Amino acid sequence: MITGDRLAASTAAGSRARGNTVDLEGIVHRYGGLKAVDDVSLNIEAGEIAALLGPSGCGKTTLLRVIAGFVRQSAGRVLVDGRSIDDLPANRRNVGIVFQNYALFPHMTVAENVAYGLAARGIGRAARAPLVDRFLDVVQLKALKDRLPKQISGGQQQRVALARALAVEPSVLLLDEPFSALDKGLRLDMQIEIKRLQRQFGLTAILVTHDQEEAMSVADRIAVMHKGRVEQYDTPSAVYDRPATPFVNSFIGTTNLLPGRVIGREGGSALIELDAGAVLAVPVEASIAHGMRVQVSARPEHLELHATAAPDRLPVQVGLVVPLGPTAVLDLRMRDGAGIKLSDRRTDSLPAVGAALHCGFRADARPSVFPLATN
Amino acid sequence: MGRRMSVADISYVLAIGGLATVALTILVGPVVIVLLTSFGDSQSLKFPPPGLTTKWYEALFDASQSRQIHRAAGNTLWVAGCATAGAILFGTLAALGLARSRSRLARIADTAFMSPLVLPGLAFGLAALMYFTFLGLRPSLELIMLGHAVVIVPFVLRTASASLSQLDPALLESSASLGASWLYTLRRVTLPIIAPGIVAGGFLAFIASMDNVPVSLFLAGPRSDMLPIRLWGMMESTLDVRVAAVSGIMVASVLGLMLIMERLVGLTRRMRD
Ligand SMILES: Nc1ncnc2c1ncn2[C@@H]1O[C@H](COP(=O)(O)OP(=O)(O)OP(=O)(O)O)[C@@H](O)[C@H]1O
Ligand SMILES: [Mg+2]
Repeated sequence: MITGDRLAASTAAGSRARGNTVDLEGIVHRYGGLKAVDDVSLNIEAGEIAALLGPSGCGKTTLLRVIAGFVRQSAGRVLVDGRSIDDLPANRRNVGIVFQNYALFPHMTVAENVAYGLAARGIGRAARAPLVDRFLDVVQLKALKDRLPKQISGGQQQRVALARALAVEPSVLLLDEPFSALDKGLRLDMQIEIKRLQRQFGLTAILVTHDQEEAMSVADRIAVMHKGRVEQYDTPSAVYDRPATPFVNSFIGTTNLLPGRVIGREGGSALIELDAGAVLAVPVEASIAHGMRVQVSARPEHLELHATAAPDRLPVQVGLVVPLGPTAVLDLRMRDGAGIKLSDRRTDSLPAVGAALHCGFRADARPSVFPLATN
Repeated sequence: MGRRMSVADISYVLAIGGLATVALTILVGPVVIVLLTSFGDSQSLKFPPPGLTTKWYEALFDASQSRQIHRAAGNTLWVAGCATAGAILFGTLAALGLARSRSRLARIADTAFMSPLVLPGLAFGLAALMYFTFLGLRPSLELIMLGHAVVIVPFVLRTASASLSQLDPALLESSASLGASWLYTLRRVTLPIIAPGIVAGGFLAFIASMDNVPVSLFLAGPRSDMLPIRLWGMMESTLDVRVAAVSGIMVASVLGLMLIMERLVGLTRRMRD
C-alpha cells in the first residue's frame, strides 16, 4: 500500500521536504466586473508555508479557491511541481483544505471524518483503520474518535479537520483563516501545532490570514495583498524591515509617517528635512529625487529619546506613557502638535509626562522612504 | 420587579389569546365530536351519542361486513405509498437539480413543479382525466398514483430544497478536495444531511395523498375505489357510523405518525422553513 509506506516514511524522524512546489503565474479572477485577483504570480518552495496576508476583501480567499479548483481563474496558470493543474477538477487536484469553520461532516464521527478521503479513494475499511488511527494520533485525538463534531471543542474540531486533510497526503495544504474562530491562547497552540505537522510531513502550505502577527509567526514567506494584487512577497523580517510600498509599510506593524522634503542626494542616500524639524541622512531607492516631497516611515521601536538637541533629532514633548508588558509605548507631541509613537524597553527611568526631550533614530534603524503624493 | 401592563398590552394578550382559543376550538372540536360519535351506540351518525360502545370498530374490522371499506383502504394506502415513493424520488432529484441554480429556466421549472400546490385540485383532476383519455389511457389505480404523485411532489420539493439551501457549501468543497466524486459526495454527504427534510416532506406528501379527493374522483375507474370517496358515498346513503370509526382511526394514526416524525426529523421545524 503506497499510502501506508509514505505515511511511515513521513512520520519517521527527520524525514522532510517531500512537499511540492506551487507556482502561480499571472492569476486573474473576475467576479463580473470586479477583479478580485489581479495578476498574481507567486513561487512557493517545496516544504514552505506561504501566508497570504491582507485586509478583508483583498482577494485572499478567491486566490485559495482558484488553487483548490473551486473556481476557474479568468487568466493565468497554477503549477504544482511544474505541472499545470488548471484542467483538473477539484477532486483530482490532491489539494488539502482546512476551512475557517472546519466544515466537518456533521453526521460522521471524528474517525469517519478522518477516514472520508481514504474511503473516497477506494481504500478498503481494513486498510483505512490503521491510517486513521495514525493520523488521530498525530493530532492527539484518539480518545475522541467516536464523538460527533458537535460533541467536541473548536480547537479539537480544527485538529480533526487537519487530520482529515493530512490523511490523504495532499501535495499542497491550504488553510483559510484557520485560527480566527479560536481564542487567543488556543490560537497560539494551534499555530505551533500546524507548523509542527507541516514540518513533520514536509508539506507545502498556503495560509490565508488578515492577522499580521499570525503571518509573521507561522509563515516562511508572506505575500502582502492589496486590492487583488500582491504588493510584496518576501520573508517576514524583510516585509517588516524593508516594506516595498507604503501600503505594506502601514499594514505590517505600526509606524509613524513623517512628511519631509529631499534637500540633498548623494549616491544611495538622501538628505531629508522633516517638516517637524530635523535633517536625516537615509539610504533610499533610486526613484527618490532631489526636491521631492517624501514620507519617512519610523517604526516605534526604531526611535529613541535624548536629553540633548541635535540636527537629526526632533524636539518633542512626552504626552503619555503606556507600559505594555516588557515594553513601554510613549506618545510624543511634535512641534506642530502631531503625535508620534515610540516604544522602548521598560526601564526604571521612563521619562515623566510633559518632559521636553529630543527624539532621534537608533543607530541600527533603517527608515523607509516613500514619495508623497503631491497635491 | 413586576412591570405594569398597559391597556395596549392587555388588549394584545386578550386578542391573541382569544384568537388562539377560537382556532383551537375549531380545530380540536370536530375531532373530539367525531371520536365521541364513533363510540356512540345509535344507528346513525348522531351527537351527542345516547350511549357508548365499540361495536362500530368491531364491524369495521370484520372482513365480511366491511369488505368494500377494506378494499378502498387498501387501495388508498397502496396509492399513497407508491405516489409518495415517486414524489420522493422526483422531488429530491428536482431539488438537487434546482439547488443553487439561478438560471431563468431553473426558476420556471421550480414554479412549474410547485404549481400543483396552488392549482385547484378539481381543475387538475379534470385536466388529467382529459389528458389521459386523449392519450388513450383508461382510468385506473395506476393513473391515480400518477396524478397523486404530481400533486404531492411540491411537499418533498419544498422540504428538500429548504434542507439543501441550509447545507454548508464548504462541506461539498471539502468532500471534493478530499478526492470524492460528485456521486460519492451525494451519497455520503448531501443525501444523509438532507434525509430528514426528505422524510418530513414524504410524510406530508403521504398524508396529502391519503385524503386527496378531487384527483381520485376524476381518475378512479370501476375497480379503483378510494377511501375518502367511499366514506362520502356511505355518508350520503346511510349515515353509517363506521364513517366516524374510520375517521377516528385515521386521526389516531396520523397523530401517532406525527409524534414519531417530530421525534425523528423535527417535522414542525421543517414545515416552517
Ligand atoms: N462569489 C462571489 N461573487 C462576487 N464577488 C465575490 C464573490 N466572492 C468574493 N467576491 C468579491 O471578491 C473580492 C475578494 O473576495 P475574497 O473573499 O477573496 O476576499 P478575502 O481577501 O478572502 O477577504 P476576507 O478577509 O474578508 O475573507 C471581494 O470584493 C468580494 O466582495
Ligand atoms: Mg476570505
